[in-house]
Amino acid sequence: MIYIIDHKDSFTHNVVHQFSNFGNVECDNFDKINQRKLDQSKVIVFSPGPGSPKDYPMSSNIYKKYKGKKKIIGICLGFQQILYNEKGKIIEQKKIYHGYQSKVRVISNYSLFKKNRIFKVGRYHSLKLKEPFYSKNFEITMRCAISNVAMAIENNKDKIYGFQFHPESFLTENGNLLIKKILSI
Amino acid sequence: MIKQNYLININKTKKPFIIYRSKKGFDLYTNFSKKIILTNKNIKKFINKTTKLKSKKKETNLFIGFFGYEILNNLIGIKLPKQQRLNFPKGIFYKPETKIKLSNNLNYTSTKKNKSIKNFKVNINKKSYKNIFDKFKKKIKSGETYQIKICTKYHNKSKIDPLDFFCRLSKTNLAPEAFLIKDENFSIISCSPENLITKKGDFISTKPIAGTLKKTKKLNKHKALMFFNKNIKENKEHNMIVDMERSDLSKICKPGSVKIVKKKIIEEYKDLFHYVSLVYGKLKKNIKTFDIIKAMMPGGSVIGCPKISTLNLLNSQEKVNRNIYTGSFGYIKFNGDMRFNIIIRAILNYKNYSEISVASGVVIDSNSNHEFNENYIKAKALMDLYK
Repeated sequence: MIYIIDHKDSFTHNVVHQFSNFGNVECDNFDKINQRKLDQSKVIVFSPGPGSPKDYPMSSNIYKKYKGKKKIIGICLGFQQILYNEKGKIIEQKKIYHGYQSKVRVISNYSLFKKNRIFKVGRYHSLKLKEPFYSKNFEITMRCAISNVAMAIENNKDKIYGFQFHPESFLTENGNLLIKKILSI
Repeated sequence: MIKQNYLININKTKKPFIIYRSKKGFDLYTNFSKKIILTNKNIKKFINKTTKLKSKKKETNLFIGFFGYEILNNLIGIKLPKQQRLNFPKGIFYKPETKIKLSNNLNYTSTKKNKSIKNFKVNINKKSYKNIFDKFKKKIKSGETYQIKICTKYHNKSKIDPLDFFCRLSKTNLAPEAFLIKDENFSIISCSPENLITKKGDFISTKPIAGTLKKTKKLNKHKALMFFNKNIKENKEHNMIVDMERSDLSKICKPGSVKIVKKKIIEEYKDLFHYVSLVYGKLKKNIKTFDIIKAMMPGGSVIGCPKISTLNLLNSQEKVNRNIYTGSFGYIKFNGDMRFNIIIRAILNYKNYSEISVASGVVIDSNSNHEFNENYIKAKALMDLYK
């Protein structure tokens, strides 16, 4: 079962439908977590949402508790949630992308996706990762083709994955493929 | 002609009635056998009971009316702070016993003159609007909201003939979701263009509008489309609403069934172009009418995104209750089918006090002055009816 933790976002149910293509999905608000479902889940997904990762200490606790024990996926705020708990700094960016389609490029040889492949993706983020960022076993695997902002991370040892963009948005081409690949390994 | 006289006679008798735009003209509903004033206590029971009523297929087997903004907030667990209020009901539904089809051409002119005692006043001036606007821009930068719609209100004291207003309005703007409610001590006149819910059997659709252009001699449908497609700001606002509506539908629809059937097209009306999408889904089993209302309302395109945190931000800044504005008007049939719009471009006249609410969106690249003036233009179209 895939357990999606909803940060009261207006895109979360698109994420639910997207993941439902690949398995059983349960979804609860971050402040109404069902411990039994959490324990039973094979994959935990941190949803997009308003605000910044520091606003959601309960989600941070879940991340720390299950890191390395279950596959963890973060989308937008969820992506930042992972980085924040890996000592990354999440900061405001000058140019803001809400409802914006842009190109991201796979930049790493270690990614599940082929290096230099370009995806067209939908973005809804005010904040971004401050760089340089280093954390053990984590690698930035995709970047915005224009601004170079970090757009995806992978930790294939602990099976932790995150996207700054929204694979579930109608603005993202091949979003299902991205999720399918991550769920299949 | 007989029908037309019927309408005029009802208007004379002061009997409550409702007019709602249909595909070919208008439907007139009257002879109300029940009137339910909604409260937080009775709303769930009312909605669930409506679709449990069984009776023969009849055109009047429905409840028609509206949900105000506040009750829709309360339904999704959001409480409003203390606000200035008219004590207007949070929602009202009627059970009609008569339905009559009317043509597009509503001919009626009031014999009495409309009396406006004072000119319209606005509740937020340009300066305070800019203050709120700047606060919200900061919230966009910090990611608490991605798009937010500040409501401003114009009000005056006036005794009006609502049917006269509605007929004149539909001559200049034959909006697809236009409606009129005339009751004893209040009336609502709206030329809403936006459908929030159309539900037939297992199928449900929503048709968000984000982007409006006034028609000019130089502008045709194709050029309007080019304008929106090239305008990054309009495009981003629209994209956001489409993803939000997909998500709202996904709460109640079968996985994989939610589809964008019309993506960013132009719809042409008498004096406007709208930038519109149509999203559609197939309902999950065991979804109740109440679940649908909670999932879809208040309609996202007039609130902003994401809904919950944006509603909280709005409510913390708006000092005057929105009343009907950005609520929904429509009907629920006994068989569970529904049609609801979003109440915008509307006049509420309650105890001879008129208010017109308007809103426009703040996104990262909007300009306070421009949006304030946009609001005024939207309100002016309705205020002109008072002349």
